[in-house]
Amino acid sequence: MSQNQNRSGDNNLKYAVDIVLCVDTTASMGPTLENVKQSAMSFPNRLAQEMAAKGRGISSLRLKVIGFRDYADCAEDAMVVSPFLRVPDELDSFETTVNALHADGGGDEPESALEALALAIGSDWETGLDRRRHVIVMFTDASAHRLGDPRHTRASTYPQSIPGSLEELYAQWGSGQSRSALVENSAKRLLMFAPESYPWTDIADDWNNTIYFPSEAGEGLEEWEMDQIIATIANSL
Amino acid sequence: MKLNQVLNGYRVVTRPTNADAGKCLWAFAEKGGGEFFLKEFLDPKIPKADSMGTVEDKKRRFAECERFAKRHTDIMAALRADDVHAGNLVLAVDFFAEGTRYYKVTPRVRPADIAARDLDTRGQLVLLKTLVDSLVLLHARGIVHGDLKPENILLAPARKGPLLVAKLIDFDDAYQAGAPPAAEVIGGNPLYGAPEWLRYLRGDRGAQARSLTQAADVFAIGLLIHTYLFGVLPGYGESHESPAAAVLAGAPLAWDPVLGGRIRSLLESLTAADPRARPVIADVAAALDESDVLSREAVSPTPLPAPAPSTPPPGGGAKTSRVLVNTTKTAPRTSSTRLRINLTGKN
Repeated sequence: MSQNQNRSGDNNLKYAVDIVLCVDTTASMGPTLENVKQSAMSFPNRLAQEMAAKGRGISSLRLKVIGFRDYADCAEDAMVVSPFLRVPDELDSFETTVNALHADGGGDEPESALEALALAIGSDWETGLDRRRHVIVMFTDASAHRLGDPRHTRASTYPQSIPGSLEELYAQWGSGQSRSALVENSAKRLLMFAPESYPWTDIADDWNNTIYFPSEAGEGLEEWEMDQIIATIANSL
Repeated sequence: MKLNQVLNGYRVVTRPTNADAGKCLWAFAEKGGGEFFLKEFLDPKIPKADSMGTVEDKKRRFAECERFAKRHTDIMAALRADDVHAGNLVLAVDFFAEGTRYYKVTPRVRPADIAARDLDTRGQLVLLKTLVDSLVLLHARGIVHGDLKPENILLAPARKGPLLVAKLIDFDDAYQAGAPPAAEVIGGNPLYGAPEWLRYLRGDRGAQARSLTQAADVFAIGLLIHTYLFGVLPGYGESHESPAAAVLAGAPLAWDPVLGGRIRSLLESLTAADPRARPVIADVAAALDESDVLSREAVSPTPLPAPAPSTPPPGGGAKTSRVLVNTTKTAPRTSSTRLRINLTGKN
């Protein structure tokens, strides 16, 4: 093998894209959720087309879905987490997972979105290939409970890996020079389609590599918004 | 930033988007009757007293912010609008921080709704010359643009007359020759990237930062000229995903068959695998100054056979229509260390 060749024996760049969709599945998301699901279904093909148009073929594309409600309302169905599903091999599983999401429960806001974000940040991200993009997309119409509230953490279903505060979660997201980050700084992006309420404005102000699209309650996932997600991935690799 | 928000006096007049921009949000803005392109960077963010993170973390973030700001202001200082060749560089007019974020402002350019390939020969030549002249200035300052591609070159009406000029935008991925950003964050485009950029990004054995020089831009210019003349990149074969990958593998780029001997030889030398074998940008400018460089004879339906791929064609005996190609292994390049390349297609 010449020095010009990489391990796989050719000169093409190998891109890895991991995407975690965090979807609020509480009752108020009803009209929005169907749009989110439809867009999620069309997402792999649209991304592949966009990447091909930019001369960036994806060597590894994995999608993960986290549906969340509220540990304070009903701990039993507060969180549904899929593993990373490889596309196209596991496209059927991805579609089944997305289809199974349904809007229900949650009570009044806030919801357990920060727990979902924490689980997303702690994902087993791809670390190989030439260049990586690790994207978390948050869809919610509500504010989030503060982390560490014992009324939630004592629930038997509450994941033990969740940090006890937003500060601790920030440390896991990290900045350019931080040593505690769980996500590769140059690879990570957090897109938030969320209202202007706690903690979304704080995160948008303080965390790097975040893109915040403030939304109104009841507003659907517009075509424009899916374009933003695809642009974020396709342009930044 | 949000629609209608005012930042440092700039009012955001379009919905911010990250279309065609991986590391920022952008929108058009207005200030004092002028129209601007406003960019909000995603990273780094400036820590405030009540920001999240430890004291130590905030110190590191501050230091990172200072490096970021210095890199941008250094580029702004090196490229001044009053420079003789700067007329077609779309330079930043403002760089500021507001809240936790950094912003950069350039004048808004309203591009013409026409593709370069649809221009006549004179129009294409003006376009190429204005593009190359801009790069002459950048390269003379030791700056590599780092992300040359059609999206970063806007075709806009000249100040006077009906012709279009090439407005070069987006210097956010620019770097000093030989000192590029780290491989995991370096900008660039896989379709127009140079072989040495590809090797550096991949972390290939022997790939070194110092090999990334102005020659990487020169490789892209070779591809851009073809794109401007024919609307597409040269072919690079189904087994390769980019011209750079093909060149690294020793596969020939498939130039449009209409491409004549002179301009073909130029493009072949610009896209040589070895960056040290490519002409410098001033030589490209000189080649474009030659009479009839894009004439029907140069871009003709009877091209000469293609020489061996990725190697400079042998020197010839033509007296005038030549570009100078460096054959030495070390900088700096001088006329005495260059091989004369025949661009005429005639011996």
